[in-house]
Amino acid sequence: MARYAMVIDLQRCVGCGGCSISCRNENNVSEGMYWSHKITETSGTFPNVRYHYMPTLCNHCTNAPCVRGCPTKAMHKLDNGITMHDPQKCIGCRYCMINCPYGVIYFNWKDAHPFWKEENSLIQGVTSSPAEEVSKVGSKGTPYYNPERNATLPAIRPKGVVEKCTFCDHRVKEGKLPRCVEACPADARIFGDLEDPGSEVRQLLGKFRPFRLKEALGTEPAVFYIRDFSSAGYPRTKGGV
Amino acid sequence: MKSWLWIGLLCMGILLGLWTTLRVYTVGFSLYAKTDVLVWTLPLSTYVFFSLTSAGLAFVSSIPVVFGIKRYEAFEKRAVYLEIAVLIGSFVCLILHLGSPLKVLYIFLSPNPSSPLWWLAVLYHVYFVILLSAFWRIHTGKISKTLGVLIFLIAICTSTTLGWLMGMTDARPTLNASFFSVYFPLTGFGSGVAALLLFSMAYAHFSGREVTEDRSALYNEVGRLMGIITGMVLVVFLWRTISGGISSTAVEYRAFKHMIGSIPYNIELWLGLAVPTVLMLVPSIRAAVWGKVTASVLVLVGMFAGRLEFVLSGVVRPLGQMAEGRPEFVSYMPTIYEVFVALFGFSAMLLIYTLGERYLKLGAVPE
Repeated sequence: MARYAMVIDLQRCVGCGGCSISCRNENNVSEGMYWSHKITETSGTFPNVRYHYMPTLCNHCTNAPCVRGCPTKAMHKLDNGITMHDPQKCIGCRYCMINCPYGVIYFNWKDAHPFWKEENSLIQGVTSSPAEEVSKVGSKGTPYYNPERNATLPAIRPKGVVEKCTFCDHRVKEGKLPRCVEACPADARIFGDLEDPGSEVRQLLGKFRPFRLKEALGTEPAVFYIRDFSSAGYPRTKGGV
Repeated sequence: MKSWLWIGLLCMGILLGLWTTLRVYTVGFSLYAKTDVLVWTLPLSTYVFFSLTSAGLAFVSSIPVVFGIKRYEAFEKRAVYLEIAVLIGSFVCLILHLGSPLKVLYIFLSPNPSSPLWWLAVLYHVYFVILLSAFWRIHTGKISKTLGVLIFLIAICTSTTLGWLMGMTDARPTLNASFFSVYFPLTGFGSGVAALLLFSMAYAHFSGREVTEDRSALYNEVGRLMGIITGMVLVVFLWRTISGGISSTAVEYRAFKHMIGSIPYNIELWLGLAVPTVLMLVPSIRAAVWGKVTASVLVLVGMFAGRLEFVLSGVVRPLGQMAEGRPEFVSYMPTIYEVFVALFGFSAMLLIYTLGERYLKLGAVPE
């Protein structure tokens, strides 16, 4: 059985956010939620300062604390290692959000896509209201609604349940790559089977020294980071006292 | 006349709660002061308060049955009934915390025994049924030793499982101090004793009946017990502050360090623990009705604030990508809807208790 993992090459990542936008389109992610997101950090103090950008998503941990804590198995592991969520069984206790060390699980506090339900148009009689826009294209929830998401998960999740990245399990099932991987213009995201010795992810993990987020917690994330980007150089030195 | 006014006020609280329920399930949980960071707030902390108070009442009600101290049988009926009322208050708050409460059926259809939350749900179902049975036996004039022992054991299980529930969150060590499975039953015992003392004394006052010397001595003894427990909690509480809030260098504990300056923390420490301990240490104050009432009210207020402080200390510091674009600590002020949820819980609990006091002779001593 395959065990899927993702390698993110920080040297290739340009921080364009294309992964987040494509994820949003593919999974009909509502406003304010980020199945695919980032952590930005600065190091040093001005004028010796640098900016770091790290893309983030659900880590599909092997020892997933969210799965362990879910009282109804709404949050569960698939045989291929993907951490999946079943909104049908979710009681909305949000214990998974408390348990997740990475902050990648979101709760539907209200109905999804509230903006696209608004009836007010910007210029009366000239522009369409968001609700008209949705009805004109014969869509549901948003004008960019993707019905394919419905294959394994409600295409738009109801209020009162949590949601998160699924490694685009509906695409993987059909032999396609997750949408964020496909959309990345720099090929910074590499997806594959950890069990397959010939897979690109296995090769990269053997070639570089990977790290994972909060490894000390023992969650065994399936998202690995390799390399780092820095265009900075410095004259060779031993420092001084 | 006064009692009808009281019942009317409680009904108002319940109506406000029902209106809040309707609003929450039509508009959504965005009515609460919640963000993706503050996922657990006042409704949950009120549930924890009720839940642990109920466990504490179970410890008191088990004193005559499990430990054979017969004079505490005077409290037995009231304690068990109060447990039921408090537990219903906790269920009200829990339902309004859950996003999809109707799906709780899946706790039985799709069980996950690795989850402490699953165990809690199962234990509470069993607990409630046993409590009802035990009360029925007491109401018909007899104490069931078996049911009494079962209540005692389940109360230990629920309060310690709540400690496991928090202790499992490796990423939030502020919820995870290793002693919470001890801290919860102990603090629950404190609030249970305070609740029983307060309600017993309120009954003695409002019923207008003369308090016998024996009963008065028993109240003083319970007051002393409350003082001992709050003193013990104070010691554990200070150690929690020292180990997690002062000496720990782990960045995750910054959330607790942040909470040390908060209003709920200081209410818990000073009003809920330090003052009642001192009050109950002084014999003349302990012997006075006002002293015991003041101390028990302060303990309950302190415990209520303490549960909020505890829950918030686990969530005020955003983790992982949730920290993006947010300050190191997020602030929290409950919305009126959250206050109504807590009010709903209290009103339901107090109404059930008031009706019980009026019609079920809670002061009766079983055989």
